[in-house]
Amino acid sequence: MSRIDDIITQFQTVTANPKAAVEQYKKETGKGAVGILYLYGPEEIVHAAGCLPVGMWGGNKTISDARAHLVPFTCSIMQSVMELECQGTYDILDAVLISVPCDTLKSMSQIWKGKAPPITFVHPQNRNLAAANEFLVEEYGFVKRRLEEILGENIPDEAIERSIDIYNENRKAMREFCEITADYPGIIDPVKRHAVIKARFFMEKSKHTALVKQLIAEIRKQPMTPWNGKKIILTGIMAEPLGLLEIFRNNGFAIVADDLAQESRQFRHDVPAGRTPLHRLARWWQELEGCPLAMDPGKARGQMLIDLASRYEADGVVVCMMKFCDPEEFDYPIYYPQLKKAGIKNTTIEIDLEEKSFEQARTRIQTFAEVIH
Amino acid sequence: MNMEQASSKELLAYWQAHLDERARSHKKEGKLVCWSAALAPTEMFIAMDIAMVFPETHSAGIGARKGALDMLEVTNRDGYSIDICSYARVNLGYMRLLKEYARTGEKAEALAKSPAADVPLPDLILTSNNICNTLLKWYENLAVELDIPCITIDAPYIHDMPVPEYSKKYIVKQLDHAIQQLEGITGRPFDYDRFLAAQEQTQRSVKQWQRVASFLNYKPSPINGFDFFNYMALMVIGRGEEFAEIALRKFADELEENAKNGKFAFGDNERSRVVWEGIAVWPHLSHTFKSLKNQGSLMTGSTYPGMWNFEYTPGDLMSMAESYAKIYVNMCLDARAQELTAVAKNGRCDGMLFHMNRSCKIMSLLNLQTAEIVSKTLGIPYATFDGDQTDPNNFSPAQFDTRVQSLSEMIAKK
Amino acid sequence: MITLGVDIGSASSKAVIMKNGREVIAEAVVQAGTGTSGQKRVFDEIFSLSGFSWGDIDYTVATGYGRFSIKEADREISEITCHGQGIAFLCPSARTVIDIGGQDAKAISLDERGNIVNFFMNDKCAAGTGRFLENMSRVLEMDIEDMERCHFLATEPAPVSSTCAVFSESEIISLLSRGVNRNDIVAGVHQSIATKACALASRAGIVDDIVMCGGVARDRGVVDAITKKLGRKVTVAPHPQVTGALGAALLAHRTIK
Repeated sequence: MSRIDDIITQFQTVTANPKAAVEQYKKETGKGAVGILYLYGPEEIVHAAGCLPVGMWGGNKTISDARAHLVPFTCSIMQSVMELECQGTYDILDAVLISVPCDTLKSMSQIWKGKAPPITFVHPQNRNLAAANEFLVEEYGFVKRRLEEILGENIPDEAIERSIDIYNENRKAMREFCEITADYPGIIDPVKRHAVIKARFFMEKSKHTALVKQLIAEIRKQPMTPWNGKKIILTGIMAEPLGLLEIFRNNGFAIVADDLAQESRQFRHDVPAGRTPLHRLARWWQELEGCPLAMDPGKARGQMLIDLASRYEADGVVVCMMKFCDPEEFDYPIYYPQLKKAGIKNTTIEIDLEEKSFEQARTRIQTFAEVIH
Repeated sequence: MNMEQASSKELLAYWQAHLDERARSHKKEGKLVCWSAALAPTEMFIAMDIAMVFPETHSAGIGARKGALDMLEVTNRDGYSIDICSYARVNLGYMRLLKEYARTGEKAEALAKSPAADVPLPDLILTSNNICNTLLKWYENLAVELDIPCITIDAPYIHDMPVPEYSKKYIVKQLDHAIQQLEGITGRPFDYDRFLAAQEQTQRSVKQWQRVASFLNYKPSPINGFDFFNYMALMVIGRGEEFAEIALRKFADELEENAKNGKFAFGDNERSRVVWEGIAVWPHLSHTFKSLKNQGSLMTGSTYPGMWNFEYTPGDLMSMAESYAKIYVNMCLDARAQELTAVAKNGRCDGMLFHMNRSCKIMSLLNLQTAEIVSKTLGIPYATFDGDQTDPNNFSPAQFDTRVQSLSEMIAKK
Repeated sequence: MITLGVDIGSASSKAVIMKNGREVIAEAVVQAGTGTSGQKRVFDEIFSLSGFSWGDIDYTVATGYGRFSIKEADREISEITCHGQGIAFLCPSARTVIDIGGQDAKAISLDERGNIVNFFMNDKCAAGTGRFLENMSRVLEMDIEDMERCHFLATEPAPVSSTCAVFSESEIISLLSRGVNRNDIVAGVHQSIATKACALASRAGIVDDIVMCGGVARDRGVVDAITKKLGRKVTVAPHPQVTGALGAALLAHRTIK
């Protein structure tokens, strides 16, 4: 077990201090780091430049400076990101990629307060069309050129192809990790599970993959013990702050699968084949399913959750509703009745990254545990 | 009604009612009805004789007639958060009631007593995100609830000017695809002649719209910017058809006449001129109007006229694509600030009033930054107030009055 | 078997002692909640009323926001579960519970055994909660009994925002200064609370019998407004404030049985 704990500690060290992880990377490689705001960006292009793609997901900070720039009904994660921008947390980055799949992000891209030069890019929403891929190929080309200018690096196609391979390898390892967590919830509790997944955003992907594979191998050596607690699936943008995950753990919840933008939505499907590396990256966006930031008139999310609950024999679904997130709020009235009809117990908790005391979440989660006895 | 002698106001009321009636008769006759986003390219639909209904305008009407709360309660029960766009919530509530009515044959009380204009459920929907991405989510839900096709024209956010060629190409390809979808849905070949005619008509309508907007520059002015909140309905529902051009020409002629005869919007009482940035507060429209009037503050600055300036070369889809993409709220901050500066300058405005709209992120989140830029550039003060376009809960008349008064005082001090 | 249920809420502390999970020996309510002397005072009071002491209690369950701070508790259970059980004990036919407390409002859907099927809460903003009612009654310079009396004298409820407590307060001040009838304003305040409560209830699913509990249920004007909005019969649980503590005492008994 101690080897497992060792590896988990390595991941937790990274997530507890991402800044140190970024600085270490820059020191070791002499290359830069590029922030990715959010949710989905062409990390492979940054990776191909030899730079570290860094996830920007806000933090557990009290909002104060950000109030001068954002109305109070801005989503919690963007308020948090703005707070970190104002405090200079993101200034160690050499550039920032800002995606704009929602109205709030469009605005955020225009009021970037950090020092690193921002590169705003937009994902196409009419995703079924080949024309959408053609658009995104051009848009990614624009991103690539801007990165090359700012970083002073050349990013050839072969390098991007190699990075795509490395990323697909990581995605595969992550899917395997999530599967194994469902089988060994006693060993990988919600807090640990999250650390392994979140560390992806601050580590070079092949290094992350190697460590995850070691972890998986060590876990497989352990005997599988029956789980007496509850099995849940999380859906939403993200399940943070850490205090929330601790409440899940303390109530005997095992996260057997997730539909979180910060977690499985990043790696549940690979970058597919394509004409050029940029075309391949564009197709990844086209094939993304079940995320409210990617338009889907068929609204597949409900059925996806039902299938997920069935596949992992989950006792329930916990909706992690990002505070003031319009896209997530629009999906709920569609999938909630579907879950109800399928007899899948569910509850909703609000995600507020600023939260330091979790009384309300504690009550709701404890009650849900009592409901899905 | 005698069309020749009718005033523009009468024509506006007539055509709004007529279009709703057209939608209802289309439904009865088994012809197609489409619900569409307000700034989506409707020219193709006019070409195929599809009756258009515009939920944003429809919701605004419900709000103005004080019927929003009932609809909001319906969507609240369905699980829609109160954070979401109130146009969407009102419309999804109305849709729910119509859907239930269609299913059971019984009208819910909320529907029976609603002041909402009576429009039928759609057979297809058209959406575009040149105003906002909320319109994508809203229409996703309509498509699934009603099990109907959704035609999408994605206008990618213009984060850097000028609009890239590849962005225009993408929009054109979507227009082509939409044409194919229409052929599939209607079972008829697309009428390219009528399509071109609708484009040409749009240009003529835009000319009259710009004529009307030109009166904002007059000082004193014969037009109150609040009029745009009402007349823009013509540009939403009819720019591709003749009646919008006729009604707007009438309005422009009336304004010209008034200007010539010294008949101004506030008479002798035009003491200051302000920009109103944002959507109207429909449930409290008359309060906001009166409050400004009491201060002698005439609204002569609005970005609304610009939003319907669909100037393009008929027959040239690339130029049409560009004009649909270059909407005020779909452009980067620099371009937005430039546009607002031009509006304030053209309106000869002394100050600006910003609607911090609880329902609308695209029109609220950049207000402070835009205000600062324009205020510095032109040396004019600004004030903000909290409101909502259709949810009456999110507005305090007392707060509005205080803000408007302090704006007048700031203007007077200069 | 003697069991003790204690509910330390945001605004008040409640305790109930039960015998054999069937008979209520005593109940106590102190109007001081989490983090105050209310905790100690409610124990003093319940023991004084019942004649019991800690030595007589076989098992204690704590609930409410303050439940984790009761060191004497043998177990902590969420107040939602406890309210559900308490209501089921008092009103066995209850299936939809509307509980409006000091700082939150909940709708709970129960099965025939008093178990929770589903629940929906507003615990993030003042609108629709006891705090809102308190604020408005202060502005109107009335207490709860007055609010109730005035409600039934209203002819046309004045519209009061149900989204923002600050705006509502501003609205009421404006209505008062315009000389709108106080009774109508009171009815408007009650309607505003009812709007929020009924929205939660709708999400939980409205099934007869509908029962209200929580401190706000003492104001029959609110009950009336909810009844009118739902268009269904609404009962107020007897002893609406102590249902949580009652459920806790019940669950304490069930645990040791």
